[in-house]
Amino acid sequence: MVVTNLLPDNLFPSSIHGLLRTISRAGFFDRSVMIGSWVMLVYQELYGVRYALRTMDIDFAVHIVHTRSQLRADLKQLITGLGFTDYLAAEGVQKFTGDGYEVEFIGQRSGGRNKGFLSVPEWNVTAIPLPFINILMDFSDVAELDGFTIRFPVPEAYFLHKLIIARKRQSGAKRGKDLEQCTVIMQVINDERMLQVAQAQRFGKETRRHIAASCDAIGFPLHRIGLS
Amino acid sequence: MKVAEKDIVVQGMLEDEYARCREVIEALLAKAESYTKGALNVRRKQNKEKEYAYHYLVRRDGKKVVNRHISEKELPELQKLIEVREKCRKEIRAYKKRMAYLQKLLKKPNPGGGRHESAAR
Repeated sequence: MVVTNLLPDNLFPSSIHGLLRTISRAGFFDRSVMIGSWVMLVYQELYGVRYALRTMDIDFAVHIVHTRSQLRADLKQLITGLGFTDYLAAEGVQKFTGDGYEVEFIGQRSGGRNKGFLSVPEWNVTAIPLPFINILMDFSDVAELDGFTIRFPVPEAYFLHKLIIARKRQSGAKRGKDLEQCTVIMQVINDERMLQVAQAQRFGKETRRHIAASCDAIGFPLHRIGLS
Repeated sequence: MKVAEKDIVVQGMLEDEYARCREVIEALLAKAESYTKGALNVRRKQNKEKEYAYHYLVRRDGKKVVNRHISEKELPELQKLIEVREKCRKEIRAYKKRMAYLQKLLKKPNPGGGRHESAAR
């Protein structure tokens, strides 16, 4: 794999750096991606967009090959080996905590809403099922730092995902944060790639409404997503 | 005097972080509870020219201090369990510290005083 995106070796705090290096070497980023507010730090380096607020959550969108797939690497063991403590959060989802950070895995929720968590035997972790996560995994890029590679969603995918979920948030503050991030990212949106990401999706009426409302809120022309 | 307007996003993040700390503490307490309580202690006894080491699990049971002898066979597994519990307690202490800071920042009342005090001590 040829990696053209280079990130500074000291971009992330040391415990996050160690975590990324470990799971990268286990092959996790072959198909899965880092998501959440820490991706903004990657965009800052690669695209020059600046967004300072970051949560203590380190989220990963995990690509689930098959619910009965064989173990590829025991991430639970690898992550606890780094000094993180595993625990069961609400709904029985496994999370990890260390140095105040919280590591969690999120998988694509297909269909029903009742599943508490998704088993990911390939990595021996469980994941929180959420809709629209595939957008982030299907359109991703890689970057190298300190000799290892991480995968993250392209800005257009991250942007579209935020436009959708912003309207689904119950908390006004979270919605505000999603839209703030969109406002920052929209400066570097590539129209061709934006259309490519959007056209690969099949949105229902409600989701289209959500996207339109978010675009309206941040002043982003809907036709640039190809939905007008 | 000019008063800065409250930033809904920053305020929300702090509120979320406060709630998250509480949730993590609850989850870690539940985990720590399921692991062996107490600390390992070694007693050394001299018999003729040989020194023997005996391991004990020391723990509190109300006001009493209970010593339970631990066989060599049990020792490695027990050490692991105590280590995990210690790790949980260390994390709980860190989260409590952060919560205390956020409590002041968000001007929240101290819920239940030292509710989690015993487990994190």
